[in-house]
Amino acid sequence: MSNLAELQLTKNGELRHFLTPEGLDRAMLERILDTADSFVVVGNQEVKKVPLLRGRTVVNLFFENSTRTRSTFELAAQRLSADVLTLDIKTSATSKGESLLDTLQNLRAMHSDMFVIRHSDSGAAHFIAEQVTPDVAIINAGDGRHAHPTQAMLDMLTIRRHKGNFEPLAVAIVGDILHSRVARDQIHALKTLGCKDIRLVGPHTLMPEAINSMGVTTHTHMNSGIDQVDVVIMLRLQTERMASAFLPSAGEYFRLYGLTTERLAQAKPDAIVMHPGPINRGIEIESAVADGPQSMILNQVGYGIALRMAVMSMAMSGQMQQRQAQASQATSLLGEKRP
Amino acid sequence: MSIIIRGARLIDPSKQLDEVTDLSIKEGQIEAIGDLSSLHSALDIDAKGLILSPSFVDLHTCLRDLNQIQKGTIASETRAASSAGFTHLCASPDTQPCSDSSSVISLIKSKAIAAGFCELLPVAALTKDLKGTQLSNMEALSRAGCIGFSNASYDINDNTVLLRCYEYAATFGLKVLVQAQDQQLGDGHMHAGATATRMGLDGILVIAETLAISRHLQFMQHTGVSGHFNQLTSAAGVALIRQAKAQGMKVTADVGIAHLCFTDTVIEGYRSQYHVQPPLRDESDRKALLEGLKDGTIDAICSAHQPHESAAKCAPFAATASGMAIYDILVPLVQSLVDTGDLTWVQAVQALSSNSAIIALGKATHLTVGETANLTLIDPGHQWALNAASQLSHGTNQALTNQTLKARVKLTIKSGRVTYKM
Repeated sequence: MSNLAELQLTKNGELRHFLTPEGLDRAMLERILDTADSFVVVGNQEVKKVPLLRGRTVVNLFFENSTRTRSTFELAAQRLSADVLTLDIKTSATSKGESLLDTLQNLRAMHSDMFVIRHSDSGAAHFIAEQVTPDVAIINAGDGRHAHPTQAMLDMLTIRRHKGNFEPLAVAIVGDILHSRVARDQIHALKTLGCKDIRLVGPHTLMPEAINSMGVTTHTHMNSGIDQVDVVIMLRLQTERMASAFLPSAGEYFRLYGLTTERLAQAKPDAIVMHPGPINRGIEIESAVADGPQSMILNQVGYGIALRMAVMSMAMSGQMQQRQAQASQATSLLGEKRP
Repeated sequence: MSIIIRGARLIDPSKQLDEVTDLSIKEGQIEAIGDLSSLHSALDIDAKGLILSPSFVDLHTCLRDLNQIQKGTIASETRAASSAGFTHLCASPDTQPCSDSSSVISLIKSKAIAAGFCELLPVAALTKDLKGTQLSNMEALSRAGCIGFSNASYDINDNTVLLRCYEYAATFGLKVLVQAQDQQLGDGHMHAGATATRMGLDGILVIAETLAISRHLQFMQHTGVSGHFNQLTSAAGVALIRQAKAQGMKVTADVGIAHLCFTDTVIEGYRSQYHVQPPLRDESDRKALLEGLKDGTIDAICSAHQPHESAAKCAPFAATASGMAIYDILVPLVQSLVDTGDLTWVQAVQALSSNSAIIALGKATHLTVGETANLTLIDPGHQWALNAASQLSHGTNQALTNQTLKARVKLTIKSGRVTYKM
């Protein structure tokens, strides 16, 4: 755990990589949310740019397809006035490791300041931050089924802006927990921010082994799972789960775990409904709920840009401080060696 | 050349021997044991505080030759094995090309002879090219010097083919070695547990092992083949073997030293040097493996040595190759178990030498006068650091690099000849 803090923070405790909320303390997560709050305002201004990353180069490296996450990261970087390069890199299973190393080292040689990375292998961003390019700020835009910290934190921003304090809240996360990188980071963030009642809802086939060790309760039935909760987070169900025998059919899934108006009545009357998108209408969520008054799904998208601006500006500033500290250390060492 | 080793603690569990005394070697044999203060030799070793045992026999190792020499060669890895006290090695058949023909077997054996450190006791492929469809020429391979047959880490999915493998092995009284892990359920990167879940890595359930053990036990029972299980990992797996032995089945088992020393939590932080197959499991499994070793359910400790070049481990965890280079750290790992009270050196020698020799060679090497001098001399208190300069294996995938280690082999002797000297 402390290793994750060490890896993500500078010696002075500033963010320099953002790989997962795991290992970061409550004060740091709240700083990220506070900073994001200030950027929400920027999005509402006529001129949406701030000059925080002027002269800095941000490279979006998407080893896995993603339209939504990629475009919000691009917009966030542009609104911070950074120079942005986006690369879609298809990986072949055999040359994965080598091509990743080589690609990154080449980009680093071009004096990039930040990599935003999406990769299908769990731990990819961690590997790059630790072993490949530690002096480039790494933002994890999703690695395998491990982490998707900016999505989890924009969800936290949504909850905080609409529900306030985390401590009294009951939050249900529903659906494909097994394959979800978002769910894991949501659990870490919710716990660190003080939430005490976190419920995971889904069939055994979509529930990871020993997930209770993360301090959550598991529910196989929707009714007990979302009973009197303040927040319902629905996860996207990948259609290929049916082909690989995790589920019998989309119809059965919707009947058992789909969020309908009727089901939502089990939650608190003012409960909010969230979804990382893109939504499958009629598979995990009914249109009436997705477009209804309790839905935060479109707010989440807007907050996503603000949250990503917050994390990018914080990590860039931390990484620059670290570089300066290392540079001045190097100069003073040189000075000492002189007679 | 004659050698005298003075004042060592002689351990030979097969003879219930555990005493401090002298031992001399002449013309490849143990010449005398007892007070030898009147004798003199050119190589006269003061071995006070050291442990002298019959040399070690490794039931599972990957030497990488012929076509993976970027990872290691027979010369480099047999030398490393000799520095860990081994004189005999059962080489896994997953060589490239695969050990499914007499010519490959004679080639790897001759390479080991040329290197001069260890004798190879090859395990041949159970099916051609380890594909699980066609039987290998078992009888010819056995005559070429193979001590048993295994499909390495490749499961044979077709029960009909597996039945024929066992029936054919039974025809000629051949041994079948099994790395028990169901192929489909084994499609993951570490033990399925809290650590895998948190890190988002695909987990391998214990049932992947127990299903495979039960399946192979049924074939062994049906055909009467004498079977050996390589690298048990779980409490439930140990329980199945215990039950089979209680029923009188001719079955033996080993455990990799890494599985006795580490659990899945060491992978925290995506530490790819601990990416091994079958996977490291949890603390209750580790304790059950030690218990199984003590009560005789598990007969032997193997190295499961698998050297890799650095690029093989330098990638996101799931994309890294599995396996750990063990030879340089095997004796310190054993010592760490002795220091924690989990194992005694007598138990360790029984598992690394007496029992594994019986499984591989049909008989144990003894510390008795007239016996071939295959010996390992260990300094259990020697402190040293593993680094690029001190390591002998070509594999860069070592655990414990740049740490202070305790215990090291001082001397390995094969047929009276010193094959390793610290």
